[in-house]
Amino acid sequence: MSCSSVKYLSLMNKVLDQEATDQEKQQLFEHLASCDTCRIHFNELKASTELLRRLAHPQLPAVFTKTVLEQLPPEKRHAIRRWGSQHPVLTTMAICVVPMSLVMIGARRQVREKNNYVLIKGLGDQT
Amino acid sequence: MDQTEKRLIKKVKKRDHQAFALLVERYKNSVFAICLRMVGQVQEAEDLSQEAFIRAYNHIDQYDQERKFSTWLFRIATNLSIDFLRRRKNTVSLDASVPGTEELTLNAILPDEGEHPEERILRKETEAFVQHEIDKLPEKYRSAVVLKYIEDLSLKEISEIMEIPVGTVKTRIHRGREMLRKNMTVKGGKQT
Repeated sequence: MSCSSVKYLSLMNKVLDQEATDQEKQQLFEHLASCDTCRIHFNELKASTELLRRLAHPQLPAVFTKTVLEQLPPEKRHAIRRWGSQHPVLTTMAICVVPMSLVMIGARRQVREKNNYVLIKGLGDQT
Repeated sequence: MDQTEKRLIKKVKKRDHQAFALLVERYKNSVFAICLRMVGQVQEAEDLSQEAFIRAYNHIDQYDQERKFSTWLFRIATNLSIDFLRRRKNTVSLDASVPGTEELTLNAILPDEGEHPEERILRKETEAFVQHEIDKLPEKYRSAVVLKYIEDLSLKEISEIMEIPVGTVKTRIHRGREMLRKNMTVKGGKQT
């Protein structure tokens, strides 16, 4: 560029990086108004980055995720646990069955022991 | 990082495929965009994106939960793309892409939003031209420029992805930007 000032080049970079203060912006734009070389340079910089920004963002096909999953090492989780997280209600019921049945078995045993006691006591009373 | 993502990553650490699928859905197009603009070829970019996710899954234990997941993931994608470019450079004479073919494959997956045929042709040509200019950038400038202008990331994020100081990121973006400007305008005969 014929305008040899490195100062304005670094100002341009600051402005493009959105790191320039208002004062620096003003300083640059005042210079650009009077210097064709710098103005063209700045506009070219802006135009090229604008072209980059406008590049398409193509979408990957929906099958992409499936293809990735198929290539992963197999899950460590057991089939039972996976079933468990898919059926929370049934799992809760299954888990509750254990303590409930223990309680019931315990209760029945108590009743039986009590009966036995009564029976033994009854026998004892007879003798 | 949001809570949903934290929960998902916890599950992925326990090797939960479904949780990982959600992360893939969330980031696949960003990862693809990075790879695509880094290597300039659709099929290669799709393969690299797949590889990036598989690698992320296999090395999830190395991911530091205190940082953004996307930063870590984009680093994997960028590094894989750079490795690919280096490999390609060594074998370039054998499978150099035929000019024009890449354009076709890219256009095949771009949405046709009911635009006029002339507009479509113009857009395709611009697209191919810009990509060709990106392809000419040295890889260290290219990754900085792609992360900045394709993914619109902050300088700080780019510095974390590339594991270099913010000052170096700036220098690379400035040099990359200047190279693009020079190369893009020399064609129009307006070189300063």
